[in-house]
Amino acid sequence: MSETVDKTAKTVLKLEAIQKSFGGVKALKGVDFELNEGEVHALLGENGAGKSTLIKILTGVYQMDSGNIFINGNTVKVENPIAARYKGIAAIYQELSLVESLSVAQNIFLGHEPVKNFLGQINYKAIIEQSIDYLKTFGINIQPNTMVSELGMGEKRILEIVKALSINANILVLDEPTTGMSAAEIEKLFAIMDDMKHKKVNMIYITHYLDEVFRVCDRASVFRDGENSGTFNVKTTDSKSLIKAMLGKELKDEFPIRIDKPEGETLLETNHFKSTKMREPVSFKLKKGEILGITGIIGAGKSELALGLFGADVCESGELLLNGKKVIHKSPKDAHENGFAFIPEDRKDQGLFLDLSIEHNITVTNIDKVIKKTFVSLKDKEKMAFKTAEKLKVKPLNIKADAAKLSGGNQQKVVIGKWLSGEPKVILMDEPTRGIDVGAKTEIYKLIQTLASSGVGIIIFSAEFKEINGICDRILILRKGQIVREIMKENSTTEAILSVALGGDQ
Amino acid sequence: MKNQAKQMQIDSNDHISKIKKLLKGELGLLLILVILVITFMILSPYFFTSRNLLNITRQVSITLIVAIGMTFVILTGEIDLSVGSLAALAGIATAAVLSASGSILLAILTGLGMGFLMGSINGLLTVYGKVQSFIVTLAMLGIARGIGLVWTGGKPISGLPIAFGKLGAGYIGPIPFSTLIAVGVFIIAYYFMNRTKHGIYMRSIGANTQAAELSAIPVKKYRVIAFMISGALSGLGGILITSRLLSAQPTAAEGMELNVIAAVILGGASLSGGIGTILGTLLGAMVIGVIDNGMNLIGVSAFFQQIVKGIIILIAVMAKRGE
Repeated sequence: MSETVDKTAKTVLKLEAIQKSFGGVKALKGVDFELNEGEVHALLGENGAGKSTLIKILTGVYQMDSGNIFINGNTVKVENPIAARYKGIAAIYQELSLVESLSVAQNIFLGHEPVKNFLGQINYKAIIEQSIDYLKTFGINIQPNTMVSELGMGEKRILEIVKALSINANILVLDEPTTGMSAAEIEKLFAIMDDMKHKKVNMIYITHYLDEVFRVCDRASVFRDGENSGTFNVKTTDSKSLIKAMLGKELKDEFPIRIDKPEGETLLETNHFKSTKMREPVSFKLKKGEILGITGIIGAGKSELALGLFGADVCESGELLLNGKKVIHKSPKDAHENGFAFIPEDRKDQGLFLDLSIEHNITVTNIDKVIKKTFVSLKDKEKMAFKTAEKLKVKPLNIKADAAKLSGGNQQKVVIGKWLSGEPKVILMDEPTRGIDVGAKTEIYKLIQTLASSGVGIIIFSAEFKEINGICDRILILRKGQIVREIMKENSTTEAILSVALGGDQ
Repeated sequence: MKNQAKQMQIDSNDHISKIKKLLKGELGLLLILVILVITFMILSPYFFTSRNLLNITRQVSITLIVAIGMTFVILTGEIDLSVGSLAALAGIATAAVLSASGSILLAILTGLGMGFLMGSINGLLTVYGKVQSFIVTLAMLGIARGIGLVWTGGKPISGLPIAFGKLGAGYIGPIPFSTLIAVGVFIIAYYFMNRTKHGIYMRSIGANTQAAELSAIPVKKYRVIAFMISGALSGLGGILITSRLLSAQPTAAEGMELNVIAAVILGGASLSGGIGTILGTLLGAMVIGVIDNGMNLIGVSAFFQQIVKGIIILIAVMAKRGE
């Protein structure tokens, strides 16, 4: 690559009128996109807007129907992912591509190991030495001999980046890289990205988080319905304009206003409750009709508490009182029978049967309700699924389709839907809006409020402080497994929550 | 107007994908079965006679019964390699009790119980012992076969009462008795799978074990139940083999697991779990039965038959996967 210093930014990558259809449905309707040298360019848009499709075309996973790709002004064809690598395009997806049972150094050089001789004997010394160099360049404190399985999520993500750069990628696509990372790890990642910018690595950054865009990106292109609906200079725009471009309409209230106040009656009480996976025992109360937020940074122990309450982990000490009566959850089945419902944080791995129908997904938990004599009534089963899907506005409303075909937001509605026909008393929601678009988020918030208004007690476990602040009646903040603060809605601000969660109030 | 046209296009795409899905599933398999039947009809005049067709159902019945049990195991994402050995052991137990007591009913119950017991051990070791079912049932394949050999000293138990032979070799009118038993098992299994919560739970477990657990399904219990069903139906298969021969052979049903797994996979089941139907397994077993029978009729050598069968199974599975 020539190193000519231009005053106007040089275009490294240009996509022109890219079109792609899947079985008659147009996913991309002629997209234009430009990536300048040394910039981080954000791709924004609701789920299904076409971001992923565009990236998959760029990295050779899909072939475009029509359009042109230029790299440094030359037309190129990207036939497959290997061709993309040779052209310097690398993508880091949410799902990591590291081999857990190999070391850091082996992973960096996977597929292009330096060999000593014609037998293909690997030059381990060179691998280790070069790995140390790479890791040092990025200021990462990991030993090259460490097994990848021993690394944290953030370190793994950074290792992916190192791996991509080790094969001289100069166009790097980062697909929601901060998923599952702690605040400190995110800062580290951003520092590395700033550094890469100076080294003229060009980055495309896909995210749902606007604050990340303002922190680390130079420009942002907003996708809507398979089109690029505008490219913005981050310095001269604000989140409102970006959201407007994403939705195509002014977003009035992301968090709907709640009218009801929770009743005074205590529904659930934990008394020094601790599961085998929890670090500390916790005690708190949940009222009927209350939306209780339990928050904290990633790793503070939210999911562990949720899984413990639901009986997925074994209770070690303390007790759980439902309506004043002691209950013991040896398994999720016991919890379900006591009127508990659980929305897990990982929709695809823990919540859904992706290859089975929406109908199956919605009815499986409460299949007892549609059994007549010995047999399941197919008609009632269908009716139950349809009614729930309709009520939750699942789109498309085709209950025979596989759950895999739905967008993230609609999948989440299905995960919630499977509990509703059982009329739960307590709903535990772990990261209920993770990875879903703004429109679907609002719908889910409204649903949560409707459920609370009908007397259900809801606990939201979330690391999205804005969401916790916006939706909850009362907030408990966890730090290292302990409840360190209780904040009522009236006194709550996102900044206050964040500060306590990070330990900044000490 | 434009919207309407778009909607219609989406609808027609929906239909095409529905047809594709059907072709990949049972309908595609039925098509393969019909093609095979027509081919053999042309090659052998005797093939498409009611007598031969009923004969095929009799030959297929034991594979089908055991394959139905296997479908439950494969559906939950596991495998049972021990079915052939369990069938042989159950046959020996049946013959031993029959010789000693003379009671056919008691003998049958013993055979079924033996299969059920060994299947339960498979299930408990897999689920609670946390050993992969491939390994547990591979070990059981050897253990059960070995118990049978030790029990009989390697010699068959013969001289069983003629009345017992009706089960496997008898007819009701023109219809083989074992065909009727297989049809009965099929109907019960079909309803169990599709119309009771048990079948629905097992399918869920195979599709995503973690999600099943968190959807309040008693995962461990149902994983064990699948192996119990497979064991009991292997036992039933063993009883029918013993009845047909009027003797229990310690080496009976060797290699049966391969035919049985082939039938289930041909039927559209996925070895990774969650996908598979009882109807598919029926068609899969029929395809294998028709190939065996047809090739015998047209006089293909037994050695060559193995090769042809292997190739047809590969082609059938690949054709169903392709678009």
